[in-house]
Amino acid sequence: MSDRFPLIRTLATGALMAASLAFGAQAQDTGTPDDARLINPGMLTVGTSDPVYPPWMMNDSPESGEGFENALIYALAAEMGFERDQVQWVRQTFEQIVAPGDKPFDFAINQVSVTPARAEVVGFSQVYYQSDKAVIALPGSPVLGASSFADLRDARWGAAIGTTDLAYLENVVGATDVAVYDDQVGVFQAMQAGQVDATVAAVPTALFATAVQLPEASIVAILPPDAHDEGHGLLFPHGSDLLPWVDAALGRVIAAGTVQELVNTWLVADPTLPIITE
Amino acid sequence: MIPQRPESPPPPPRRRGFDWRKAFVPGLISAASILLVFGVLAWLIATNENWPRIQAQFFSLDHMMTAAPRVMRGFVINLQVWLIALACIGVWALLLAVIRSLRGPWFAPFRLMVVLYIDIFRGLPALLLVILFGFGIPALRIPGLPNSGLFWGGVAMVLCYSAYVCEIYRSGIDAVHEGQRAAAHALGLNEWQVMIYAILPQALRNVLPSLMNIVVALQKDVALLSVIGVRDSVREAQIYTASTFNYSSLVVAALLFLLATIPMARLADWITKRDRARRLQVAG
Repeated sequence: MSDRFPLIRTLATGALMAASLAFGAQAQDTGTPDDARLINPGMLTVGTSDPVYPPWMMNDSPESGEGFENALIYALAAEMGFERDQVQWVRQTFEQIVAPGDKPFDFAINQVSVTPARAEVVGFSQVYYQSDKAVIALPGSPVLGASSFADLRDARWGAAIGTTDLAYLENVVGATDVAVYDDQVGVFQAMQAGQVDATVAAVPTALFATAVQLPEASIVAILPPDAHDEGHGLLFPHGSDLLPWVDAALGRVIAAGTVQELVNTWLVADPTLPIITE
Repeated sequence: MIPQRPESPPPPPRRRGFDWRKAFVPGLISAASILLVFGVLAWLIATNENWPRIQAQFFSLDHMMTAAPRVMRGFVINLQVWLIALACIGVWALLLAVIRSLRGPWFAPFRLMVVLYIDIFRGLPALLLVILFGFGIPALRIPGLPNSGLFWGGVAMVLCYSAYVCEIYRSGIDAVHEGQRAAAHALGLNEWQVMIYAILPQALRNVLPSLMNIVVALQKDVALLSVIGVRDSVREAQIYTASTFNYSSLVVAALLFLLATIPMARLADWITKRDRARRLQVAG
């Protein structure tokens, strides 16, 4: 996965430049835990969804620090000068987190993919992780043994709304028959009902799903990331003047190799899975 | 003192001429008041500091144009499901209502079945039925049964709405005067013939406005099928919103629904009015 680093760097620089353009020069990229820009000065208030799934956060417990995203937040908080008990979590639905308007958190972490269109209404930090996509299918599915996008194209696909999986299927794989469900669980129900042949999900999500949610299913193949999907970023309220500070700290956390360590700890896929790239 | 007789007869009451003030002033006041109130509202909205954001978020023309083709494609599915379900509900609910209204002791088990049916399907949320039928039945993988979510979702809507419509039909049937039934019997018609030739024609026209209500409600509830993967207009709009975080696509879907339902409401008004006029003429 070390080859992904330059990509993240480039994207990070791009996001940083966009952020500095969008939010002007008056916002500072340093701060203290008592900073007045915080929702609740003295505390770092972080939003995430309810429930949260492994391996992003283990046991539906952000406070534990076990899992990729919450461990990342505690590393980031330390970098910003917060003690561990100065981090407080706010749980909302994905829709509430992404809806424009005032937020009850300083920023949120919830595997939100950064896209230019979304960046018009909310703020994003630099990208901290970009995942490959995994094809998940039940035994007997026509996508088993697929070796090219052409083999995948004609299957009946399912995807969850709010994820970038749908855009991925339509734009990268070129699938035409994609049913869209409220959440990943709905997709799996449709798979069990024989209404869809397969779905794609971020590799870490897929690992959890095939291990716990739908053990009969398996990861059939790994697909490369979408060039238009920039990867996961922290989500800020539009025009947040906290962004430069958090973003600078996140940049240092990434540069120090902490994020890569966390990826290796929590998010690594089975290296024997077949990879389909075209 | 005796009052003096007037020397000339009193002048005739003034002829009522055309009083422009009475004719125009109320209308002018209404117009001015409407202009004033709506003007102030429009001004309040337009000068609100949040208005540009609201406009960009909900009424962005660019986003609306981009989202329109896919939302309309979804709306075609809405219309198809709606029309097919409507036809099925109309027939199925009528059958249920007729069975429920049959007198005669031999029909007792069938009446009981219909009562149970209504109790169950009217008592359950439509969303629950859609999920139960849309995911549950295909998951059984029974050979020979279709496993399309669209099909089973449609079945759930038909079963659910038929329970309501059956009760509407029944209220119409009950509202027909008992004398009509007696008269039809006196002519020698049997139970079925009484129902078909005497009761139903009167019952149906009584309940037409209530039925139009259901027609409109069903059209909106087709959106429930989106939870089982049917890409209707609401789902297509949601997909657009999810990828851009902009809500203009939902406004497009809202406009399409209004475009379909408002003419239906006017049509229902017109039919009801015409029917009423015709009946009163007969009575008069």
